[in-house]
Amino acid sequence: MATKKLLFVVRALPYKTEASRLALTHAISSQSVEIYLKDGDLVEGSVAFIGDGVMNCLKNQQAMKHYGITSIEGHMKNTLLLDMKVMVCKEDLDKFGIKEDALLMDAEDIGGETNAQVVPYSEIQKEMESVDHLLFC
Amino acid sequence: MGKLTIGCFSSLVGSLSLDFSVKLAEAAVKKGHTVDYWMSGNATMLSKKGQKAFKDYSYLAKSVQELLATGKFQITACEACAAARGYHKEDTMEGVKSHSMDWYLASTFEADRVLHIGGD
Amino acid sequence: MKLGVIMSDYRIGSDVIDRLTAEKLGIIFVGNGVYHAAAKEAGKTSSLLEKTANLYVLTEDLESRGFTSANLDSRVKAVTYSDLVDLIFNDYEKTIWL
Repeated sequence: MATKKLLFVVRALPYKTEASRLALTHAISSQSVEIYLKDGDLVEGSVAFIGDGVMNCLKNQQAMKHYGITSIEGHMKNTLLLDMKVMVCKEDLDKFGIKEDALLMDAEDIGGETNAQVVPYSEIQKEMESVDHLLFC
Repeated sequence: MGKLTIGCFSSLVGSLSLDFSVKLAEAAVKKGHTVDYWMSGNATMLSKKGQKAFKDYSYLAKSVQELLATGKFQITACEACAAARGYHKEDTMEGVKSHSMDWYLASTFEADRVLHIGGD
Repeated sequence: MKLGVIMSDYRIGSDVIDRLTAEKLGIIFVGNGVYHAAAKEAGKTSSLLEKTANLYVLTEDLESRGFTSANLDSRVKAVTYSDLVDLIFNDYEKTIWL
C-alpha cells in the first residue's frame, strides 16, 4: 500500500487557455484513480497557485453566465469539497494588491469543510520538495 | 530501465511542444524505457484518424504508430477533452486508448519520472 | 530535491525559475527557450544563465532556429533528445516544463 503525491502548480491566467482548468480537473480526478491501482494504493493531488496563477482564485467569476462554462471558481470549490490541499501564494497576491476577502477560500455552501490557504512561497517550495511529481501548468 | 509518463496538452500542428513530447518519447523508448503518453486538451487532436502528411505541417501520426509497434509505449486521450472537440471512438487512431483523467494520474503512480507539458 | 527545468519560452517563465531552490537545479532550454542560450539583447546575455551552473540547450531546437553551437554562451552545453532522456532519468528526480 502506497500513496504517491502530485502537486499541480498553476501559473497560467484563467480562461484564455484551458491550462488552469485542466490542472484542477486533473487534480480532482485523483479521487477515482484507485480503479486502476492495487487495493490500498492511492494518488494524492494538491494544487498551488503562483505568479499570475493567483488570479484563478478570485471570487464571483461569471464564466457560466457569459460563456456557458463552469468557472475556475467552480472547479476550485470542487477541489475543496474533496478535501484537497489548495495553496495560494501570499507574495503574489500582495503584488497584485489582492486581499483574502476577494478570494474563493471555501466550499461551505456545497458542504465542503476544507479551506484554501494563503501561504508564503516558501511553503509552496516545501510542498514541491515533499511530493513525488510536479506538474506545472 | 524506467518508466516515463508524459502528459501533453499542447495542440497538434499549432504547437511544436507536442512534437517535442513525441520526440522525447521516441528517444526514451529507444533507450529501453517505457513511456505512458497522455493527451488532454488540444493534444487530443493527435488521437484523430486521417491525419495527412504535408511538409508545412507537423505529422506525428506515423511516429505514434511506430512507437506503438515497439510495445513499450501506451498512448491515451482524455475522453471528455476529445468528445468536447467532436472526436469520438470511431475517429480515434488504432492503438490509441481513450479514458478519463484518472488514467493519467494512475500512470504517474508507477512512473519513475513525470513530465507534464501543460498547454500551448 | 534535484530539479530539472525544461524552459520552452523566452519571454515568460524567468520569474518562476528565479524563485525555485533545489539541491541541484538544471535548466534545459528547448523550443523558444533556446534564445536564452544563444541570443543577446543590447549586448547582454539572459539572466537565467546566472541561475545555475547546469545549463543545457537542445541541439535540435537550436539548429531549427538557425543557430549553431558557435552561437552558444560558453556556459551552456548542447544536448540531444537522447541526452535529455538521460538527464531526466539520471540527473534530476523531478522535471518541470515552463
